[in-house]
Amino acid sequence: MAQARTSTRGDGHEARIGGGARVRGRIHGEGDLLVEGHVEGDLAIRGDLTIAEGASVTSKAIEAQSVTIAGTLEGDVVATGPVRLAAGARVRGNLRGSAVAIDDGARFSGRLDCEFELPPELGGASRDTRGRPAARR
Amino acid sequence: MASTIIGAGITVEGEITTDEDVVVAGTVRGKLTAKDAVTIEHGATVEADVSGGSLVVAGSLTGNVSVSERADLQQGARVIGNVKASRVTIADGAQFKGNVDMDV
Repeated sequence: MAQARTSTRGDGHEARIGGGARVRGRIHGEGDLLVEGHVEGDLAIRGDLTIAEGASVTSKAIEAQSVTIAGTLEGDVVATGPVRLAAGARVRGNLRGSAVAIDDGARFSGRLDCEFELPPELGGASRDTRGRPAARR
Repeated sequence: MASTIIGAGITVEGEITTDEDVVVAGTVRGKLTAKDAVTIEHGATVEADVSGGSLVVAGSLTGNVSVSERADLQQGARVIGNVKASRVTIADGAQFKGNVDMDV
């Protein structure tokens, strides 16, 4: 029997989509979000996003601070912080972040967009002409 | 610990479906369907039809409710909509506008 309860939680900024849950629509706001279930729709949060193992997210656009993915993601990620694809992650889409890490065992297809300094032997030295790297492939 | 929590700063516009329980501390617009307990905390805003096993409201809810067990409107709750449940309590200090259907 379900009990009436006054639930006051200390962590007011926590959000979680549980393993048995499915959200179809847009999620936005402040605070960290943990996805263990399924989300179809755009995600824009000022906080850290974690897509847990077994979770799936299908989205046109994902915006968050740091993004950690251990589940399945289809969609483009724009992060202000680092993006990490953990082992077991399956990601199809473009990733942008302050840093991008892809662990051994993660599967990824898409484009990576992140700012970093190339070492001189890879043409990093040519960047000092107003940050425009030499266009050569 | 609830399995799905919509935190205080978070807004969901769309449909939430789960076979577990849901706690809303933020905002939900659309539709909310759970098999288990649904809790709408103080300060939360739900503009959605809600169905579930049971319902506790301490926040603001606009929409029709259909739960299989009980619906508790706690002090500070503000509910506009019809409530269908086998047991309903409305606490002193809860605001409610709508019909109650206890299936009698």
